[in-house]
Amino acid sequence: MTELRELARKLLADGSVKVVLGYEEGPRGVRPVFVTDPAQAEKLIFDTRCVQNLAAYLNPRRQHITKLGKAAIVVKGCDARAVAGLIRECQIKREDVVIIAMRCGGVVRDPAGSSELTVDTVSDRCNGCDDREPKLHDYLLGVLPPPPPQSTRYAEKVAQLAGMSPEERWAFWNEQLERCIRCHACREVCPMCFCVQCTADKGRPQWIDCSATLEGNRAWQMMRVLHQAGRCVGCLECERACPADIPLGLLTKYVAQAVERRFGYKTCDDPAVPAPMGTFSTDDEQEFIQ
Amino acid sequence: MTPKIISESALAALVANLVAGQVRVIAPVRAKDNPEHADYLPIRRLEDAAFNGPLPRRSLKEFFLPPTEVLLRYRQHKDGVDLEEVRTTFPPQVILGARPCDAAGVEILDKVMGWDYRDELWFGRREATTIIGLACPGVDDSCFCSAVGLGPDSTKGSDLLLVPCDGGYLAQAVTPKGEALLNKEPLQAAPDAAAGQTVEALWQGPREKVAKNLPPVPSTLPEWLAKSFNHSYWNSLALRCHGCGACASLCPTCHCFDIVDQHEHYDQGERRRNWDSCQTGKFTLHASNYNPRKTQSERFRQRVTHKFSIYPQRFNSLLCTGCGRCARVCPAGMNLPEILGELTQLAGTEVKGASE
Repeated sequence: MTELRELARKLLADGSVKVVLGYEEGPRGVRPVFVTDPAQAEKLIFDTRCVQNLAAYLNPRRQHITKLGKAAIVVKGCDARAVAGLIRECQIKREDVVIIAMRCGGVVRDPAGSSELTVDTVSDRCNGCDDREPKLHDYLLGVLPPPPPQSTRYAEKVAQLAGMSPEERWAFWNEQLERCIRCHACREVCPMCFCVQCTADKGRPQWIDCSATLEGNRAWQMMRVLHQAGRCVGCLECERACPADIPLGLLTKYVAQAVERRFGYKTCDDPAVPAPMGTFSTDDEQEFIQ
Repeated sequence: MTPKIISESALAALVANLVAGQVRVIAPVRAKDNPEHADYLPIRRLEDAAFNGPLPRRSLKEFFLPPTEVLLRYRQHKDGVDLEEVRTTFPPQVILGARPCDAAGVEILDKVMGWDYRDELWFGRREATTIIGLACPGVDDSCFCSAVGLGPDSTKGSDLLLVPCDGGYLAQAVTPKGEALLNKEPLQAAPDAAAGQTVEALWQGPREKVAKNLPPVPSTLPEWLAKSFNHSYWNSLALRCHGCGACASLCPTCHCFDIVDQHEHYDQGERRRNWDSCQTGKFTLHASNYNPRKTQSERFRQRVTHKFSIYPQRFNSLLCTGCGRCARVCPAGMNLPEILGELTQLAGTEVKGASE
């Protein structure tokens, strides 16, 4: 933590950056903080409750953050994959951001809960993570903690869904999506939802039903999830933000698995690896693209 | 009217009677997807209700202002447009075990819904509904009902308030609807409460517990906010806010809506009213592409000033019941009790500074 604070202080003091995006202790657990004054670098913390994917704030849709000037960002492996995604898809330039990567031993699900990592508290995103020591960084801090407890909870849910008949799966998702109130919080917190004009907001023509009806809710999630193909970094922030507690990560996870199967692509923290939907290859198995 | 003591079995009989009489009974129920959560849902028997469970995920407002509802149906043809109106009368329903913060939200919203236009759909549902509140033990340190003039035993918005006590519940009628319920079978035969047995006496503990979370919002805050529109406090307030509006969705008093035409075929469709939120960028986006609230800080200022200045100055009531859902749900850690504490301090020092 001292290392992090000192680095932040130095970067702000020597003018390398105007703001450091990091984590602080809030009134209700850990939350994002935007440090612009070197004297405030004391606020920065890093522990297992640093859940939020701060890459969402680098997203050019967040004009109020870009306005602050050049940023340094504190990232975990999952966040680094999102930063890489934004660079890969030309949303930000590598030289416009200073990346402070933290060696990570996993995070809990609830930033307002206990910091103790157990099979019950560990975030589902940490399962099988191989980016605990992010490669995409300007600074790499901390000592690598032991790997987090591996929870099979999520894999079981995915397997359970995969084992269902299409009718059962349809019924499962209808029951879940009936609760959706179309607040679009899943989109707003997502670091990879970077469209300035979302199709869901378009009125002329109206592509999908904008009311919180089951049909509209289904159409919205299908669209969101398909647009996340090859983009989703698996941080599960959509699921955490959902006020209706819909297990949205299961949808993106399913699509990520399909992308891996069909294109041999897994989101990674190397921005030079081309996006599967942003490139083509002459030996593609589908003829129409050749 | 003297409060009565209602036993668990009398309450179960009430639910059975209502359900048998085709009355929809809604109560907090453990969520099927996650028993750590609860939702307000229709019940068939009292055992289905989770009175001692967590605060329901969503407030009660959706039973009066649903997330989406049809206002009218239309069909265009060569001679004009046919309009079909929707029903504005509703079958009776009883909400049993409403949290005081949720019940209060409904009464607060009556003011705006009956203001320059009497919203027929809102009042149609209001008239068809009886709200039986249940005193709340306090949820956690994000509760601040006592700071906004309410409390875990507030009767505001309830027709009848139940307070857990030895032998069942102390039932205090608040409105004629609540009195009628107490004077009817199966509650009619319930014994009167003893002289010292009052809501105040029974619920002092939870009141004190919640009061520790946040001191009362000062009565000068609405006026101070009105003249502090350009205060520097707002500039960096909402840097962490994603503008997702989850706070507004769960808020018992946020009531902004959008009206959209939902075409079904080329010649017909529905006009719908959908929940909306001032936290999204497109809420105030003009057709000209001009946006009077360009930044998230401006949007968050709107949320705070609407609740603690605009609404109270117009309707003499804060637009907040202190349920704390906004603070609990926020994925980015925006915290209304914290903001209220800071504003109270600012307002206090600046008012004091001006008078010296």
